Amino acid sequence: MMRQRLRPVYSVLSALIVAATLGCAHTIDVTPSSTANQGSASQSIAENDRVPFVIEAFRMSQNGSPQNPSSEIERRILNSLRETRLFSTLVPLSGQYDGDGGKMVTARLAIDETIDSHPGATAFKGIVIGASMFLLSPFIDLDYDYAAQASLEIARWDGRVTRYEARSSGTAHYNLFRTNPAIIAELKGRVSEACLQELMTQLVHDTNLYLASQTPLPASTIRTVTVNARRSGTAQGVPPAVPVSESPAP
Amino acid sequence: MSTALRVLTIVSLCSLMTVPLAQGEEVSPTITVGTQEVGLTAGYMFSHRLTEFHTTKQHGPALMPSWMMTLTDPIGDSWYRGQISVGAEMVYLQFREPILTHGVGFTPRIKYTFVALGRLRPYAEFTGGPFWTDLGGNIDEQANEFNFVLSGGVGVSWFLTPQLAANLGYRFHHISNAGTAFPNLGLNASLPFGGFSFYF
Repeated sequence: MMRQRLRPVYSVLSALIVAATLGCAHTIDVTPSSTANQGSASQSIAENDRVPFVIEAFRMSQNGSPQNPSSEIERRILNSLRETRLFSTLVPLSGQYDGDGGKMVTARLAIDETIDSHPGATAFKGIVIGASMFLLSPFIDLDYDYAAQASLEIARWDGRVTRYEARSSGTAHYNLFRTNPAIIAELKGRVSEACLQELMTQLVHDTNLYLASQTPLPASTIRTVTVNARRSGTAQGVPPAVPVSESPAP
Repeated sequence: MSTALRVLTIVSLCSLMTVPLAQGEEVSPTITVGTQEVGLTAGYMFSHRLTEFHTTKQHGPALMPSWMMTLTDPIGDSWYRGQISVGAEMVYLQFREPILTHGVGFTPRIKYTFVALGRLRPYAEFTGGPFWTDLGGNIDEQANEFNFVLSGGVGVSWFLTPQLAANLGYRFHHISNAGTAFPNLGLNASLPFGGFSFYF
């Protein structure tokens, strides 16, 4: 009799234990998937056809606020570039490269990160989980969104500038007791990887643009850049003209 | 009081022994989503008799070990920039008046920590949950032993190292039985407290 009475209690407890066990898993959705373009972001080019790649500028922002670019991200980008086998040498932002007037490409990089930890929804879910004395914890997922947008502006030795852009985003779903910095690191890693892979695929698509044999080095030029001081009468917000003239060396 | 103070003193001394004094101004705690906090807080409760029907002058020490999980990265760009964390707390109260009795509770806890001031981090918190005390039934205000405890308060954390913070604060405490028995006037108290938190 007693056992029959307690059967519903056993059932509820069993369900909670199963839910708590299964609910411990976390999932990460990334768009586009980093595996979608795998294998296409590399080329085999003759050694003498490769040119050095010099990072000239690197800008980072998070939710619109400027950040100091981390060396870890730069290293990751350089690794992705190395895997493309497009360039002979990769020179980081802090690196020195004496081009000796030879062919090379210079790059300007920008990474914009967007993070949304859904604070309002998280606070509400936290209250609900707390009010249930944590019994609802396995059933209520918390979400963390991360998106990365990378833009790469490459200037070739002859002055031609090409701009590439890639974007990737992802969401981590986890429950309260599974919350862990490692999940967020995994999400950021996978999103960044997908974004960089997309960027490298675009770059490899334009392989011909960066082959040393495809475009000759322009005749030795002297570039003169003249910057005029802004006149006091210049309208606010309108940048002053910066004339750029090129004249062949004698 | 003496037990709680003794525990707090031992914890304080152990914590301070692990603090490298040379760190000075370099302390900058990086608390991210998933950072956990384990804390031990002790304080002393002083009663508030809010109506003429309240006669019990309950007072005594309180001990509150807690666990919290940080759920958001810092939100906002101004002075209110902060993080939300959710967790749970055990609360032990010793009532020294009108008779020596005890109370034990388990309360979920939600906290908003302001992070704009670096190593000095003010916070606001709220807790609430079931509470058992043998004071109930022995006083005019509360009829039974099973009650609920609600508390809301503010505090400030001073980070001694990126992982260890000292806390000071104030809570308003309310104990009642949610109308499950009568009388149910409720017991109200102020609870200034101090303690330590370890982040990992």
